[in-house]
Amino acid sequence: MIAAGLSYGMLSTRRRARELILPIITTATGAFLLVQVLSLAGSVRRQAASLGNGTEIYRAIVLISVVVLLVGVVEVAVCTTRTVTQRTREIGVLGATGVRRAPVVAALLVEPLVAALVGALVGSAVAVAGGFVLSATGVSSTSPDVAGTVVGVALAVGVSVVASLLTSAMPTWRAASRPPIRSLSSGG
Amino acid sequence: MTSLIEAGEGAAAPRTDEPVVRAEHVWKLHQLGDEVVKALVDATLTVLPGEFACLMGPSGSGKSTLLNMIGGLDRPTKGTVFIDGTDTATLSESQFAALRHDTVGFIFQSYNLIPFLSAVENVELPLMFEPVNRGALRQRALDLLDLVGLSHRANHQPAKLSGGEQQRTAIARSLIGQPRLVLADEPTANLDQRTGAIVVRLLRDLCSSMSVTVVASTHDPLVAEEASRVLRMQDGRIVSNTNQSHQPEA
Repeated sequence: MIAAGLSYGMLSTRRRARELILPIITTATGAFLLVQVLSLAGSVRRQAASLGNGTEIYRAIVLISVVVLLVGVVEVAVCTTRTVTQRTREIGVLGATGVRRAPVVAALLVEPLVAALVGALVGSAVAVAGGFVLSATGVSSTSPDVAGTVVGVALAVGVSVVASLLTSAMPTWRAASRPPIRSLSSGG
Repeated sequence: MTSLIEAGEGAAAPRTDEPVVRAEHVWKLHQLGDEVVKALVDATLTVLPGEFACLMGPSGSGKSTLLNMIGGLDRPTKGTVFIDGTDTATLSESQFAALRHDTVGFIFQSYNLIPFLSAVENVELPLMFEPVNRGALRQRALDLLDLVGLSHRANHQPAKLSGGEQQRTAIARSLIGQPRLVLADEPTANLDQRTGAIVVRLLRDLCSSMSVTVVASTHDPLVAEEASRVLRMQDGRIVSNTNQSHQPEA
């Protein structure tokens, strides 16, 4: 039944591709910033160390990274909440026809998960490509750090996926647990 | 994987003369601030297999509330509803969902078709999450669309269907699981008179030929004309209960 839910989720994600554009863009923005900060962190830290204030700069970079991560999580949460709200009536129809809660939740988690994954990968790719192009053309004097880039991409993808699951699972579960009449009488 | 035909064969056939619906002294009260609103007052009714029962009354008379209680979309404050002999008060939400899935089909006033699915996919929807044979499911959905005269619109999305076509699709969807009971909430309310007449006769004929019991809420006299039993409601109460013999037109 869960497999059937996931299959329905893939179908709805394909058909609702246009609805994924905004979540993908917002997730990509967060991922882009995170990868940019972490890929440049090593170089900035080394330059700062040579000037004698490496620790302060390192702390500032960590703080910026955490803020970017939190902003990314909030963006993902906003998008997933929007998706659940849009699909409230659909949840009501599925509940009214007696479809069980677990496959409904599985179906509705596919879309935010795909949006988070695609957004994180697109944002990371743009950040990596942009960083290397700026460095190679001499526009930026700070070259991206491979280790920092890898950590940044891993964090961007991991945090986006986990955040999308955590922030969408609860509202989806709650929506699927409500009496169907409440979902049917809601908008969306 | 279960063959759809094997799984569903005979599911709609009445097993006994036991009522499909029996509601006993059902109340629904809503608390609105300090005020208690009586949406449903001591409603008692029995619907036998094969009947087309119509809950008739003006807006706010409690007909949709009673329909929702019967279908388990909402729970009564007091009283008991038996569906196909099962006391629904004893069921958990998931057990009630299973009962709805196996026994009840729904038709809504605003159709409630899923906008990104085609007509045939919307008909398949209640069984899409089941381990049934996909080919058999598609064929049954196409057969039902053919029965409601929409086989040529099978691949159209709801936005490209007229109101009448959407409601006929919803009728086909309600029948996909071969239910014993179809609950129709204001099935003609969003349709013009001519389309409403087509839809209600289609509903009556299909349910008659497929041995399905129908309970419909409406304020449309046309639906009441086609029904075998009319329960008039006012201020949350059933004020009259009339049997009407009706022979489907040839």
